[in-house]
Amino acid sequence: MSVSDETLMAYADGEVDAATRAIIEAAMRDDPEIRRRIEEHRALREAMQGAFSEVLQEPVPQRLIDAARGHVAARGHNAARAGNVVDLASARKAAADAPGRRRSWQPIAMAASVLLGVALGYLGWHGSNTWVKTNSRGELVAGAGLAEALSNQLSEDRSPGLVATTGLSFRAKTGDYCRTFSSTGANASSGLACREDDGWKIKLLAQTPNATSNSSNFRPAASADAPAIRAAVEESIDGEPLDRAGEIAARQGGWGRSSRR
Amino acid sequence: MSTNESAESIQEQIVALLPRLRRFARNLARTPHDADDMVQIAVERALLHLDQWHSDARLDSWLFKILRNAWIDEVRSRGRRAKLFMPEQAGENVGEASMEREIDRLSVEAALARLPHDQRLAVSLVLVEGLAYKDAADVLEVPIGTLTSRLARGREALAALLRPPQGDRS
Repeated sequence: MSVSDETLMAYADGEVDAATRAIIEAAMRDDPEIRRRIEEHRALREAMQGAFSEVLQEPVPQRLIDAARGHVAARGHNAARAGNVVDLASARKAAADAPGRRRSWQPIAMAASVLLGVALGYLGWHGSNTWVKTNSRGELVAGAGLAEALSNQLSEDRSPGLVATTGLSFRAKTGDYCRTFSSTGANASSGLACREDDGWKIKLLAQTPNATSNSSNFRPAASADAPAIRAAVEESIDGEPLDRAGEIAARQGGWGRSSRR
Repeated sequence: MSTNESAESIQEQIVALLPRLRRFARNLARTPHDADDMVQIAVERALLHLDQWHSDARLDSWLFKILRNAWIDEVRSRGRRAKLFMPEQAGENVGEASMEREIDRLSVEAALARLPHDQRLAVSLVLVEGLAYKDAADVLEVPIGTLTSRLARGREALAALLRPPQGDRS
């Protein structure tokens, strides 16, 4: 009798029912060719079982363990590349209910997308409020310079002298327009901001510490594509990012939700 | 609070699964660093969406599915970035999966890396991770027949790649 290769494969993988197994085992007794084919499947299965097994022996990076436990963490090698990324909302919350355990696993409200950023001490607070500042409710918002860039620049703008470059613009599931941005200055940082009724709210901010001291293969202010920011974009984006025409239209509408079609 | 406790115990189960998640991610990503980044993203997403996990489902399959989706997003966002983010750096990281590295490492990993990704995922889930067909089909969100045929084709290709060149038996 002839047995399909898929059936023999399923047999070798222990995926056939008892009736099929009986048929195959009868066929095996009669037919050395079937025995050989099953043997091949088994050999391959064994060979593949060992694939990548070395990774199982490696120590798991602490950042992954922290992530699994819901702890705020800098992002491993990306921390070196893209700066420290800290969940601001939870950092605040942790400070609020310290020393209790942070219940970070709870869906931080709609905050799936709103991994808020960072390093309060560092940011914008060096002098002017042109980059980021806090509003009266203690929320992190774009300072004048950044807000100007977010409101007026198109993503393709790369003219020298800009305070910030904008990366990707999109409409979030909340209906708000959001944009990624990178600073162009010495204190490289980048992030994600969304236009809400009272201004550009900073949803995520990543800082590139002391870009000049990093080894040369780390790009300086390139962190607009830091995994944290990408992840935040992927979490919150509704559809595809805006193209040039979309950005122009959104800009004309003041990046307001009212321009939603 | 009992919900807190159960969430903590799930977190510890996720910690225990990290080595396997890293292994699966290495089958997807171009570099071990990228793989770990994806594991981190997947784990963070999983914690945010724990309410979507049904405790009768296998935790590993559920995490593999999230990881796979994170990888799909990653591939898509790489495409986006090539268009929109920092065009002057678009070349970086692309095509880093050095062919030469694969060639001088004649291994099952190298052979696996050459399979089309549908087949690679099927093989990786069933043969490397040891998932049952039905669980692997669930991770990939395809019918079991599709999984089976991808697996069969993937195996055939692997067998051909791993067979020694002169080893034309019979």
